Amino acid sequence: MTDLLRRLLRTPQGAIGSALLVLLALLCLLGPELAPRDPEAIDFLGRFRPPGAQNWLGADQLGRDVLSRLMTGARSTIPLALLATLLGTLAGAVIGTLSAYLGGRWDEAIMRNVDAVMAIPGLLLALLLVSSLGKGSLNATLAIAIAFTPGMARVTRSVALNVRAQDYVKAALARGEHASFIVLREMLPNVVGPVVVETTIRVAFAVMLFATLSFLGLGAQPPAPEWGLMVAEARRFVHQAPWIILAPALAIGVTAIAFNLLGDGLRDALNPRDER
Amino acid sequence: MTAAPPASPVLAIENYSLDYTLRQGTARVLDGVNLSIGKGEVVGLVGESGSGKSSLAWAIMRHLPRNAVEASGRLSLGRLDLRGLDAKGLQAVRGKRIGMVFQDPSTALNPTLRLGEQVIEVLMRHRGLGRAEARDAAEAALAEVELRDPAALMRRYPHEASGGEKQRVVIATAFATAPELILFDEPTTALDVITGARILELFARLRERTGVAALYISHDLGLVSRVADRVSVLRQGRIVEEGAPEAVFLDPRHDYTRRLVAAVPRPHRRLVDDAAGGDTVLAADGLSVRYGRRRLFRPPPPPATKAVSLEVRAGEILGVVGESGSGKSSLARGLTGLAEFDGGIHATGRRLDHARKMDKAYRRAVQIVFQHPDSSLNPRMRIGDILARPLKLYGGALSDIPALLEQVRLPADYARKYPHQLSGGEKQRVAIARAFAARPSLVICDEITAALDVSVQAQVIEWLLALRRQHGTAYLFITHDLNLIRQIAHRIAVMQQGELVDLRDAAAIDAPDAHPYTRALIAASPAPVG
Amino acid sequence: MSTGWLLRRLFLVAYTVLVVSVLVFAITQVLPADAAVTLLGENATPEALAAVRDRLGLNDPIWLQYWHWLTAALTGDFGHSMRTGQPVAPMMLTALSRSLLLALLSILLMLAVAVPLGLWAALRQGKAADLVTGFISYIGVSLPEFVTATLLLIVLADWLQWLPATGYVPPGEDFWDSMAHLVLPVLTVSIIMVAHVSRMVRSETIDVLHSDYIRAARLKGLAPRSVLLRHVLRNALLPVITIVALDVGYLLGGIIVVEEIFALPGIGRQLIVAITARDLPPSRPARWSWP
Repeated sequence: MTDLLRRLLRTPQGAIGSALLVLLALLCLLGPELAPRDPEAIDFLGRFRPPGAQNWLGADQLGRDVLSRLMTGARSTIPLALLATLLGTLAGAVIGTLSAYLGGRWDEAIMRNVDAVMAIPGLLLALLLVSSLGKGSLNATLAIAIAFTPGMARVTRSVALNVRAQDYVKAALARGEHASFIVLREMLPNVVGPVVVETTIRVAFAVMLFATLSFLGLGAQPPAPEWGLMVAEARRFVHQAPWIILAPALAIGVTAIAFNLLGDGLRDALNPRDER
Repeated sequence: MTAAPPASPVLAIENYSLDYTLRQGTARVLDGVNLSIGKGEVVGLVGESGSGKSSLAWAIMRHLPRNAVEASGRLSLGRLDLRGLDAKGLQAVRGKRIGMVFQDPSTALNPTLRLGEQVIEVLMRHRGLGRAEARDAAEAALAEVELRDPAALMRRYPHEASGGEKQRVVIATAFATAPELILFDEPTTALDVITGARILELFARLRERTGVAALYISHDLGLVSRVADRVSVLRQGRIVEEGAPEAVFLDPRHDYTRRLVAAVPRPHRRLVDDAAGGDTVLAADGLSVRYGRRRLFRPPPPPATKAVSLEVRAGEILGVVGESGSGKSSLARGLTGLAEFDGGIHATGRRLDHARKMDKAYRRAVQIVFQHPDSSLNPRMRIGDILARPLKLYGGALSDIPALLEQVRLPADYARKYPHQLSGGEKQRVAIARAFAARPSLVICDEITAALDVSVQAQVIEWLLALRRQHGTAYLFITHDLNLIRQIAHRIAVMQQGELVDLRDAAAIDAPDAHPYTRALIAASPAPVG
Repeated sequence: MSTGWLLRRLFLVAYTVLVVSVLVFAITQVLPADAAVTLLGENATPEALAAVRDRLGLNDPIWLQYWHWLTAALTGDFGHSMRTGQPVAPMMLTALSRSLLLALLSILLMLAVAVPLGLWAALRQGKAADLVTGFISYIGVSLPEFVTATLLLIVLADWLQWLPATGYVPPGEDFWDSMAHLVLPVLTVSIIMVAHVSRMVRSETIDVLHSDYIRAARLKGLAPRSVLLRHVLRNALLPVITIVALDVGYLLGGIIVVEEIFALPGIGRQLIVAITARDLPPSRPARWSWP
């Protein structure tokens, strides 16, 4: 484990991604405590105050401190996106591994159905689901999880098939090992790596998707300081106070970049062959 | 042919040294190499993996990777200094004065261009022909390499031609510009034995006709000795020996060459001289192995083996020879329950007609070792854990692991290592140790030395025979190397396109009443010089 | 390319469409709350609700509802909006045509930029040009459409005042003005696709450049230009079609957001409006009429 960490930090992507991620984690955990002001505190006198000594990132249309809202908003934006990805990965992994293990006709039948569902673009599927389930952060999370499932099923199946074709799995089969041993001890440790990489990169996409849904008014609801919502609310004031919209927009971008970098770094770190 | 280097050589390499800059430092790939090729001469360059032989070819063609640093030396084509060439100069030399024939014709040809086009473009470029003339010249060039109906072949795409046809196209392209020198980089390694032999015969004829000089690079000392006028042996970047093939083969001076020569399989040098035991350990009865799971909408594929019947006696080494697609590996898969089959297997006193019937007793008695050492060991398990599995399954103590490692001459502390820390040969030894942990009656060896260097192969065979003497195990040894199997097998089975066409004693393999295919295989695998 | 293969492919397409229709039906018709309540409000009498449910065919078994929905859709009858009472189909068609225009322009722009960019980056692999384009692409892929759209809005429409911010002008009315209004939306959608597709083109081209046959072509002494055009491009561009096809799905998602931000009356906007108002026509569309 520590060995993996060391290798991860040796790559530039891994190092920067990890650093950013630690920062984001801190924000999620301690954001509200560390925020300089109360994110909900309305101050009509301070409306649209530009960034300066009083409000480091400026104040929004209700005089609320943008920086504080940003720091508190991490908790509304990132963890749910993470949860959605994990749920989607779990569901997808079960379907994908099962399909790979069954093989033959079953595999093909399951995958054709997965492909058909994937024909609906992610955002559209999430939108349809949210429209039926109702607005709100939790529904948006569920919708994203469901939208991710077919993609993750494809990825896990492809990795699982690749592992299944390796000779050490065949050796285990030829030894007469039980199916559970083969799947858990021979296949799973080799499947986990690439799947983790893919999941990490998907979190970036989930963050973006979640913010988009909130932006469209279908995810987090006001007055939550969710970053996508902040961008939506600030649209009207783009001309007079661009910082209200820039801060959360860039925060979303940085988060997505952080996860992308981490995913790339993990991919390189999990390839043990450049050791010798 | 004399062993002295020629007076005015076509290619002269003088004191050439090449380094690669890696993350860990600089690696010297070639060290003070001296080589020269005279007019019409064929010089063989023999080396195992890591010897730097391919790097020398790239150096001559001036196609070195970015992290290559040429430390010293001269490379001259006639009077032309190759190192001093600029891009334009290179384009005038490559393909025109020096040709190259690559290892794998499937990857050396552009998959989206017709075969004819790929010959024509070279002729247009280097012989300045117009399109129509180039087409005729291309057709003539393909006829020279003895391809039937060149015009039709020219219209085909690479994936529509066989390996042998593609390699002939590549050879035709190289010869068509009448170069002074052609580099051959393992041209028959990716081909079947019989196809490869025909290519070599073609090469001999072309050489006579054109008098071109050639550098023939290969890992196969036996093959090179039949093809070359002079042989240079390359070891870790240094030329350790050179001379006429007979001299190098019959009277090697350097230690390494001696070991290399000793490792080359020679059919008449038997390594096993006892007789096989009496009882049958395993018998296959009309075994038809089916490959591939059944898919939706598609007809099931034909069986990979057609009703194969054979038997292995206690302590016997039964060789199974055939080319790719012969079904020999499928046979191994059927016998270990990795593929479905029709027919029966007699072993451990029972008759099995389905993989599901293979119980623990069978699994213990019949073990398998695979071809690729890189993929047969789980990269995320330590060697000790890998060896512990059969012990747990078939009874045995974990304390046996050091003894198992000792049997294949590996130190006991290797148990803590991971597979990627071992070399290819070491991994294969672990795979063998794993098979023997079960104390089997039969070990199926599925081309286990095909991916190994010749010297490593010789060692692995040595251990296999030692283990056999110790435990009395029988082997089903699958290989495409007829020379190798003739050294060790008691009986040899020959497979062709899924059928067992011949099964006879090893001593009688070249008898006149052998199957024509068997005789073709023997003709294609001649004993090396000496 | 046998007929068998073709038939198999067509069957798969039909099957995919079927599954998608079932899925959409399930999500939009089966999951939501009682359509009758949505229509008449919370305070309607049980009798009125029952009457409406009957009219809408909500009491039919699900598979019958699906059948009606499907057959109606196939004949072009998509029901009536519960809000406005107007037939949905003609509205959808106009909106669709506008979205298609946006989509088409975006794809064209994307192809014109992404393919050469990817090729160029591949040819200059490891050098400054490659690293810079890589960096920019990375950022492009990490910004959701609404962020890119907002940034472009701020810079091009607000600060520099080069382009109108939002709104739609039909091409028939005033061509140049119409185009001016489309620049920002097309740019937004294209930027992300360019980032994505150019990386894939780059990676494909790098694979081709390192392949054995390109090495063989170089060692045959062919002119570099000929190697590039005949050998590299032929093989690198073939998968581009697949790459673009895969991205089209993503494009649809981008269009939804962009239409919302730039107030373009396309199909995406319709969808958002309908969703936020929960206006999805129930399954017996043909029989419905506003009382």
